[in-house]
Amino acid sequence: MRMVGAKVPRVEDRRILTGNGHYVDDLQLPRMVHAAFLRSPIAHGRITSLDVEEARKAPGVHAVYTGADMRALSKPIRSPLAQGATPEIFPLVTDTVLFVGDLVAMVVADSRYLAEDAAGMIDVEYSDLPAVVDYETALDPGVPPLFPDLESNVLHTATKEAGDVEAAFAAADRVVEVTLSQHRIANVPIETRGAVADYDPGSGQLTLHAATQAPHGLRLQMAQTLDHPMDRLRVLTQDVGGAFGLKGNIFREDFCLAIAAKQLARPVKWIEDRNEHLMASGHAREERITAQVAVTEAGDILGITAALDMDAGAYPGVPFSAVSFTGVISLLLPGPYTVRGYRCDSRVLATNKSTYVAYRGPWAMETWTRERLIDMVATELGLDPAEVRRRNLYEGADGDRMVTGPTLAGITTRECLDRALERIDYAGFRAEQEAARAEGRYLGIGMAAFIENAPGPKEMRPNGGFTGGEAARVRLEMDGRLTVFTAQSPHGQGHETTLAQLAADEMGVPFEQVRVVHGDTQVTPFNILGTGGSRAATWGSGATMVATRKLREKVLAIAAGQLEIDPSDLQIVDGVVSPKGVPGREIPLARLAGQMTLMPQTAPPGTDPNLQAEERFTGEETSGSGWSGGVHACIVEVDLGTGGVQIKRWVVVEDCGRIINPAIVDGQIRGGVAQGIGQVLYERIPYDVEGTFMAGTFMDYLLPTSAEIPPIEIVHVEPEDDEDGGVGFRGVGEGGMIVAPATLTNAISDALAPFGARVTEQYLPPAEVLRLAGVV
Amino acid sequence: MKPAAFEHHAAGSVEEAVSLLAELADEDVKVLAGGQSLVPLLALRLASVGHLVDVNGVPELTTISNGDGLRFGAVVRHRQVERSPEVAAANPLLAAATRRIGHTAIRNRGTIGGTVAHADPAAEVPAVLALLDGSVEVRGEGGTRSIAAADLFDGYFTTTLEPEELLTSVHVPALPEGTGWSVQQFSRRSGDYGIVTVLATLALDGDGRISAARVAYAGVDAVPLRSSVAESALVGQTASAELWTAVGHDAAAVLEPGSDLNGSAEYRRHLAATLTARALQQASERAGGRA
Ligand SMILES: Cc1cc2nc3c(=O)[nH]c(=O)nc-3n(C[C@H](O)[C@H](O)[C@H](O)COP(=O)(O)OP(=O)(O)OC[C@H]3O[C@@H](n4cnc5c(N)ncnc54)[C@H](O)[C@@H]3O)c2cc1C
Repeated sequence: MRMVGAKVPRVEDRRILTGNGHYVDDLQLPRMVHAAFLRSPIAHGRITSLDVEEARKAPGVHAVYTGADMRALSKPIRSPLAQGATPEIFPLVTDTVLFVGDLVAMVVADSRYLAEDAAGMIDVEYSDLPAVVDYETALDPGVPPLFPDLESNVLHTATKEAGDVEAAFAAADRVVEVTLSQHRIANVPIETRGAVADYDPGSGQLTLHAATQAPHGLRLQMAQTLDHPMDRLRVLTQDVGGAFGLKGNIFREDFCLAIAAKQLARPVKWIEDRNEHLMASGHAREERITAQVAVTEAGDILGITAALDMDAGAYPGVPFSAVSFTGVISLLLPGPYTVRGYRCDSRVLATNKSTYVAYRGPWAMETWTRERLIDMVATELGLDPAEVRRRNLYEGADGDRMVTGPTLAGITTRECLDRALERIDYAGFRAEQEAARAEGRYLGIGMAAFIENAPGPKEMRPNGGFTGGEAARVRLEMDGRLTVFTAQSPHGQGHETTLAQLAADEMGVPFEQVRVVHGDTQVTPFNILGTGGSRAATWGSGATMVATRKLREKVLAIAAGQLEIDPSDLQIVDGVVSPKGVPGREIPLARLAGQMTLMPQTAPPGTDPNLQAEERFTGEETSGSGWSGGVHACIVEVDLGTGGVQIKRWVVVEDCGRIINPAIVDGQIRGGVAQGIGQVLYERIPYDVEGTFMAGTFMDYLLPTSAEIPPIEIVHVEPEDDEDGGVGFRGVGEGGMIVAPATLTNAISDALAPFGARVTEQYLPPAEVLRLAGVV
Repeated sequence: MKPAAFEHHAAGSVEEAVSLLAELADEDVKVLAGGQSLVPLLALRLASVGHLVDVNGVPELTTISNGDGLRFGAVVRHRQVERSPEVAAANPLLAAATRRIGHTAIRNRGTIGGTVAHADPAAEVPAVLALLDGSVEVRGEGGTRSIAAADLFDGYFTTTLEPEELLTSVHVPALPEGTGWSVQQFSRRSGDYGIVTVLATLALDGDGRISAARVAYAGVDAVPLRSSVAESALVGQTASAELWTAVGHDAAAVLEPGSDLNGSAEYRRHLAATLTARALQQASERAGGRA
């Protein structure tokens, strides 16, 4: 049976659901000690005195490290992918704390309890400095830079211009102008950050067990920062309880743990608690765009200019800082629409807040901006938002190009829009809405479209793009089973299932006989990103497929030699090689592999008995447009008595190319939509004007629970099966969250249309909904 | 998020608990009931104690009795209250309010004595006591005393219990036959503390005139509040949607709630007005239904 396309239950599920998963906190090593960090209670200030003597003498304490101690043991942390102005930073603060939660000292003790007790005994005095918490202050040239080695709090500026902006605005009947803001939110995976650093003084081997989504990135950065030889540095990661982009970062705490483990020659564990996590693991999304849209009265969108400001927080993320996402935002903002003139100016600003980190679709500001703008244009012109979209959408024809350059040949946005509106009964809804308004009930409908280069058309990724593609290794075991070593580092995506489906089909072995190995830098191919950026569907799959094909060729060559027949006349079915249509001459893979491993000298001449293959996939074999995308539509009812928003329906029409496993794809979409709903209605990281952090627990940072998420209806736009073995799978991890906030805010805006509400802030808690309605 | 060290004392009886509280009075002692409020505070090191007197194993604190109203031992779990047929019959409002406390897992552990002693201004059960003029019984070394709801809640998270007193039981009057009731709450998510909670009871006479009315709020002040504005405006009037709206508006106008991340004082007043009208509507329907 063909596995690709089948709703195969996830092989991970049994292990995880029966409590047999292995998360980093499950690890108990002999002689292990525990770290706790003393964190800054203020947003900005110089440390004027730091007394750790009492803490050093506290019961069970092995060591207390200050910023000065760490500085002596570490090189500056420099990302190999740094972009923009980059300050010199060390594992702990050496002089000035830069946000609430900044790292002042580390205590290592026999237990986490004792470490926290001792951390409480450290005496710190701060001399307060004014905090930079908003865009205006960060932009003010009179405000001293947070980092003394940088010239300003503006870390990066860039301009992207495409098409003829002037002509577009000159031809416009009207220019719609608005500033749209997206608020700060947090990734909050169920499993927080955490690691165990283990050092063996005998061999000099440093092993990091980490909750990470990028083991190789972590290993590289650790080697560079600690000057540790890479042949003695291994990162291991097993089950990871979610990350959503956060754990692609390498954190200052990670270096502290490794340094302490080397110093103390003991395993050191740190598991971030939820309070630390909310405050200091990193935050996402805080951005604003001031946009102008040049339109005709008929609703043609001629031109867009956008000025983007990104609040990067205090320390640049490593290896991906906020700056690394401005390029994608400005590239994709015009989306699938026929904009003719376009400019985007970006600025990235340093503030006294936690670090900006990637979160599922880190560039989503482009979709929210564009789709909100289209609704605003429709409102201003008195047109139907669906019609404005139809009027400006590309068909996906061969010559279609986004104004910023990439070809849009083959995109299906128009089909997705039509199907979404049909499914949600757009016309019927408008009648229902009118009737409800007459009764004082406020219903609204929202729709939004997105496209995402996951992986993008070929021209966007010559030779495999910026990572040069991705490699995978496969090995035929002596018992005929297949092991796949992937460069992906799954943390909820189900790659142990999907990559096994692909390898099973490619090799001709039963799905149950394929094991996917990940998360061990000693055996998996290098990939600086690990899993992230909706890359796995194409790159992880493609790598697995080309490596398995290579291995299959080797196997067939051996079998062909043994049977004295041409390899093209052989097949592998259910783990057995046989001549097509000739029964009785089967060679089970177990026999073949056993023989080649134990007696490689018996390999037929000219064949390779080493039954492994490592191949790099550079994307040549991809098929289809390269664009993932789709349209979501939802219906809400707003209660003007409470400001509550009830989501009555949510329809997704999504195109992610060929589907490897529909259950996993639907799960990815649903999870993304849930997070997008959370982002609009529930979640916000609050800082006050002094930079005080105000959401230390889940009492203040509200995540949607299953009770808040409506049923999500999913329709797939899927191409025909690839006859020629093309890699037609595209990323689907981020789309749901990229487009959900735009969909929902458009629906709420539509519900509040009778009040002339203008939705420009993405966060819409009940009190804000009532403010927009003019009720409170 | 690990609490500082403390000593744990498992009390086997009320006497033992009370004498431990007296004995350890100078060493930061607290009662541990379901731990749903106290343990997070300790774990976050927002509170620290020298000693915890754990009353979960005190058998006489676990029973519900029904005579002159409902009487609950202090460690009766919220879940027991919400599922008890006796409570459903004598005071369905209490069962409904209790069901609004957090999620099932929290209600499985949290206790009726704990929520009253904790005195969270947004909590449901303290507001039920205020609404129905309930009371608690407390025991100290000096003996037993009863405190009426009106004298019990003394400010944010504060009661008039002495530190060495143990709350032993909670008394909630039964709803009189024919009384309609309603629990209206708005929270941003299911299971959250209400931003505003409104409790109401109404009785109607044969002509559809209101013969008795009680209205109480949680989440709008430092303590649960009775609304004399609403109650006096209702009694003697004829039930109508306009009356509910007007009373909701007037009752909310005199509230002085605080502001927080969930909304301003003005927003809370708006919620109070909305929920009061909805509560009165539902209570009057129920009163009619049972009349
Ligand atoms: C996620 C979450 C959501 C929640 N949502 C709600 C909600 O919506 N509404 C709500 O009302 N509550 C809510 N709670 C709190 C819950 O109801 C608790 O059960 C209650 O507040 C305290 O009861 P407890 O038995 O857990 O008390 P504990 O936490 O054990 O104690 C609380 C305080 O009361 C004191 N105390 C307890 N028992 C006695 C006694 N017999 N005599 C003297 N002092 C005593 C303790 O010393 C402590 O100071 C929530 C809790 C959580 C964790």
